[in-house]
Order: sequence, then structure tokens, then C-alpha cells
Amino acid sequence: MLSNLYPEVPLEEKQRLFDQVKADARFEDYLYGCYECGICVAACPSARFYDFSPRKIAQTLAREDIEMFYEQMNDDIWNCSQCFSCVRCPRHNNPGGLITIMREVAVTNGLRSTKEALAGYTRIIYKIMTTGTQVSPDMLQEDAFPDWGPQVKEVASHLDLWRRALPPETLHTTGLSWQVEERTMLELYTIWKLTGVLDMISELDEGLHDIMEEVMDDALEDQGFTIA
Amino acid sequence: MAVDRLLVIGAGPAGLEAARGAADMGKEVLLVEATGELGGTPYAHYATLTPHLQETHDAMQEMLDGVKTHPAIDIRYNTRVVESEGQAGNFQVVLESTDGTRATEAVGAVVVATGFTHFDPGRETQLYGYYEFEDVITLVDAEHMMKDGRIVRPSNGQPPEKVAFIQCVGSRDRHIGNRWCSKVCCGIASKQAIEIKRMLPNAKVFIFYIDMRMYGFWEDQLYWKAQEEHKVNYVRGIVTEILKKGDKLLMKGEDTTMGRPVEVLMDLIILSVGMEPSKGTLEMANVFNIPREDHGFLATVGEPLDTVTTPVAGVFVAGAAAGPKDIEDSVSMGGAAAIKAVSFLNRLSKSLA
Ligand SMILES: Cc1cc2nc3c(=O)[nH]c(=O)nc-3n(C[C@H](O)[C@H](O)[C@H](O)COP(=O)(O)OP(=O)(O)OC[C@H]3O[C@@H](n4cnc5c(N)ncnc54)[C@H](O)[C@@H]3O)c2cc1C
Ligand code: SF4
Ligand code: SF4
Ligand code: SF4
Repeated sequence: MLSNLYPEVPLEEKQRLFDQVKADARFEDYLYGCYECGICVAACPSARFYDFSPRKIAQTLAREDIEMFYEQMNDDIWNCSQCFSCVRCPRHNNPGGLITIMREVAVTNGLRSTKEALAGYTRIIYKIMTTGTQVSPDMLQEDAFPDWGPQVKEVASHLDLWRRALPPETLHTTGLSWQVEERTMLELYTIWKLTGVLDMISELDEGLHDIMEEVMDDALEDQGFTIA
Repeated sequence: MAVDRLLVIGAGPAGLEAARGAADMGKEVLLVEATGELGGTPYAHYATLTPHLQETHDAMQEMLDGVKTHPAIDIRYNTRVVESEGQAGNFQVVLESTDGTRATEAVGAVVVATGFTHFDPGRETQLYGYYEFEDVITLVDAEHMMKDGRIVRPSNGQPPEKVAFIQCVGSRDRHIGNRWCSKVCCGIASKQAIEIKRMLPNAKVFIFYIDMRMYGFWEDQLYWKAQEEHKVNYVRGIVTEILKKGDKLLMKGEDTTMGRPVEVLMDLIILSVGMEPSKGTLEMANVFNIPREDHGFLATVGEPLDTVTTPVAGVFVAGAAAGPKDIEDSVSMGGAAAIKAVSFLNRLSKSLA
């Protein structure tokens, strides 16, 4: 109706993205109809800290409000913590799930706002996709996250020692959160490749995609696997 | 000696059930109907009935036939009650038919089932330009079109691409003087929205509301169905104004949950008009001295436990004459009124025997 923050983007482009979201096989299980009751907002941690509302996501998709949808694709979906508290919805909607679909469409289409939103996460994407573990101990750098406080410097300088003090041997790692078996990594690479998750990254960050692809292909090849 | 005969006034769903019930319990029933047909407002005006969207005449035929063929029911068509003298056990009522002939009949008790009338959106303030713009119609006008199996813009006979319903027209409004909710119009608008989408799958249909009131099973039978299966758009916010723009209608209001103004062009706007006491209901209040409750409908005593007994001995009320009701409520009240009236007659004949 009356919202058009992106007049430079043609309506057909907005409609194309909307149609992709709607065509997702999960869509009809995630959106029935919306009461606009706000139960999801009351349950949503992100809504407490940002100008963000899962109700508006559900409403906009239900009303097929293309302009508003495009705004949300750019300005809202990365505010969600994907905690799924919103599934308490009395109509059995899943606003968080709708956001998952919208994010996937935003990533595969390489929206500029998505690239910006995810720019700071390149290392994390790399780490998760190549090792299966997310934040590794060696990311604990004094300058990385100032809000972690001054003791980070002390921990970082004797990281190996601190880690070896932990009872489980699988945690005696610094570059990984925990030890990952090679077989597990190979399975992961196979999954990323076969499901298209690796391909999704190419629109977002081609360089990152190429580096990861090389790592994965080399590892798979070393072990004599070929993924079509 | 009490007259062991019941007068039922009005042959809508409520009056029909009251007449059939009392006759089945063995009483002589005099059924007086102002028009030439049984079935009341739904039978005369509506294409289909909630909740199953059955064609109205099909849905009601068995009920009508049961009354028409009942040996204990004496039906007077095209007839109104114009005067009454006497009291419980022996009312002398004067009936007048449309050709002016009068007759006096004796009855022991009365069930008033004279129903409601549709709010007239032109009556007060030319609400929403109903009498000004051809493409602004009411739920009733839409039912009439649907009886012919179509929905078009009256201005040009073409099917509409965008249709909007405006809820609560003539209800819930101090300015108009009607403080009540008419109970059925949210369900009826949803029902019609489903029918429009069935006829015109590509049309966009909006319902602008204050709150959607879907009692009981109408929730999923009508509201969820319209919203989920037929993608009807429910927008919380009432339209303040309708203007003509080219050959379209511009409607202005607020989308309150999105917190922004709305201005959209529509091809057809349907006003969800509510219920008011019918002319016949007001006449019966005078003829039998029945007090009217706060909102102007016929008063009952002992609500919520007794829905049909009026403060006048021997006079009962059923259906929308007592306030906004759907057909289920009206028929239930018809049955309850039959039981109360028959037991009243039985008590009288025992005490006066
Ligand atoms: C647009 C609209 C659509 C609706 N659709 C549905 C629906 O799908 N399902 C549903 O459950 N409800 C529906 N309703 C509600 C339904 O119409 C009422 O519940 C029902 O008509 C009430 O029945 P009644 O017998 O009390 O009154 P009425 O149906 O109004 O019948 C009153 C009868 O009394 C007669 N009469 C009046 N005055 C006199 C007099 N002085 N002397 C003799 N006879 C007289 C009238 O001619 C009429 O036959 C709808 C209402 C509206 C406004
Ligand atoms: S999944 Fe997203 S929208 Fe849902 S409650 Fe969590 S943060 Fe809020
Ligand atoms: S998505 Fe569900 S919980 Fe949220 S406003 Fe809509 S109906 Fe309510
Ligand atoms: S039933 Fe709905 S449209 Fe009718 S008066 Fe009540 S709230 Fe308004």
C-alpha cells in the first residue's frame, strides 16, 4: 500500500523475489493467516532491542504487500535471532521460519543489503563451513570484541595452556572449538555441495566461495571422493 | 375459560420454529405473516447461508414445508396484527390483510417473531456515499446479486478487480445511536468474500474491520477459510471516507496495525450493514405494550436465563425482534418460546378449568 522506500528498484524485481519466497516448499506450513495479535512480538527477543516485528513479517507476506516485503528483505530480516520463540503463534504460523526463507532468498540473490549485513561474518562462515565448528578459541583477540573485557588479553597470550587445562582431550584445540574427525568434515563438505548451500555463498561473496570450494574439493579428492 | 390457541407473529426462522414446536406439542397455532411467503428475511434476500454456504431455499425448504403442511397451523399470509385487547388467556387480536380486510381472532398467548431490518446507510449522514456512488452497495445488495450467481460493478456491469468490505456500518456507533454489535456481519462479510473469490479468483478482496467477531465455529468455518484458503485480506482500520476518482472509488482510512494511512482505489465497496428492530417489531411493542430494552429491541425478563419471556404476561419473543441474532440463535429461541408459551397455556387451562 503506502510504503516505498526503494523506488529505484522496479516492482518486477521485488515481485520476483516475493515469488521465490512464496514458492519455497516450507512456505505454506509457515504461514496460515495472521490475527495481528502480537503474541509472536511479545515472545521475540529481537523485538525488545530493535525496531523489528515478526508480526509485520507475517502480515506483510499474508497480504502480499510487495513493497513492504522488499523493505523487510533489506531492513528487517537480519534483526531476527532465529530462536523460534514466535512459533507460539495461535494460528500455527512460524514467522522465524518465514524469515529463514527470506534470508535464503536474500543470500542466493546476493542483495546488497545482505552483503553488508553479513560482511562481518566472513570468518565465521568460513570456519563453520570448512570445520563444522563456529567460534574458535583463537578468535579471542583483545581487539576483536572489546566488550569481552581486559582479561581476554591474558587468556589469549597463553591460549594453548588454558585449553590443555580442560579435562576433555577433544577440547585441547585452539584453531577449532573442538576436535573434528576428518570423516565428519568430509561428510559436511559433501552435504554443503549436494544441498546447494555452498553455491548460495557465490552470489554473496564470490572470493569466499572459491576459497571454500577449493578447500573442500582438495580434501575430498585426497580421499578419493568425487561429488558430481 | 382460557383460549387454548397460540398466535405466532412473523414467519422467519424464529416464528417458523415456534409455530412448528407448539403445533407438535398439540396446540392450535395461528401464524400471521406480513408478506406472501414464509422464511423471513433470509429466504427473501440471501443467496446462501452460513456456515456451509448452502443455497438458502434448499437449506430452508424442509422447515417451510413442515409448517405449510402441518394440520394444526393456520397460516395467514399478507396479514399484520394491528390491535389487541384483553389479556393473557384471552387476547382479542385484530388482523388486517394487505387488501384492507380485518378479522378478529381469539388467542391465549402470543409469540412475537417480527425480526429485524437492515440498517439504511443513507438514513443519517449519507454514510459512505451509498446513495451517491453506484458501486457502493450493502451486504444485502450483494446477496441479491449472488442470488443471480454473479457479482459485478453496478455502474458498468463488469466484474470488479478490487473489492472492499467496510464492517460495522450502522453498528457500534454512538453518533448513529446504535451501540450494539450486530453479531452476524463479520461472518457474512467473510462468507461473501469466499463467494466472490470463488466466482472471481483473481479479484483482490479486503475486509476493513474494528475487530473481527466470529462466534464459535464461524472462526474456522468462515474467517480462517476466507483468510487462509481464499487469501482475503483483513485490515484492521475503518474507512473514514470514500471519494470518486475517475471511474473508481478512493477509500481513505488507517491501517492501524501497520501504523500508516491507507488510500486505495476500489472497484466495488460493500457496506456491512447491521440490524435494527423491524417496523413490525416496533408496531408489536405498541400493540401489546411490550417495553423495549435499552437498544430499542423487545425486552425480556430474567436474562440471561430466560431469553423469551417479555414483561407482559402471555407474550413471548423469539429471534431478532429481541436483538441481533443469527439463525441458530433465532431458531433456538423459537423452540424455547414454543415451550414457554405451551406450558403457559397449559397452566392457564388448568387454573381456569
Ligand atoms: C446480510 C445478512 C445476511 C445474513 N445471513 C445469515 C446467514 O447466512 N446465517 C445466519 O445464521 N444468519 C444470517 N443472518 C441473520 C438472519 O437474517 C437472522 O438471524 C434471522 O433472519 C432472524 O430471524 P427472525 O425470524 O427473528 O426474523 P426475520 O428473518 O426478520 O423474520 C421476521 C418475519 O416477520 C415478518 N413480520 C415483520 N413484521 C410483521 C408484522 N407486523 N406482522 C406479521 N409479520 C411480520 C417479516 O415479514 C418476516 O417474515 C444474516 C443477516 C444479515 C443482515
Ligand atoms: S525466530 Fe526471530 S522473529 Fe521469531 S522470536 Fe526468534 S528472533 Fe523473534
Ligand atoms: S504471526 Fe501469529 S502470533 Fe504473530 S501476530 Fe500473526 S497470528 Fe499473532
Ligand atoms: S458482527 Fe462484526 S461487522 Fe457486525 S457489528 Fe459486530 S463487529 Fe461490526
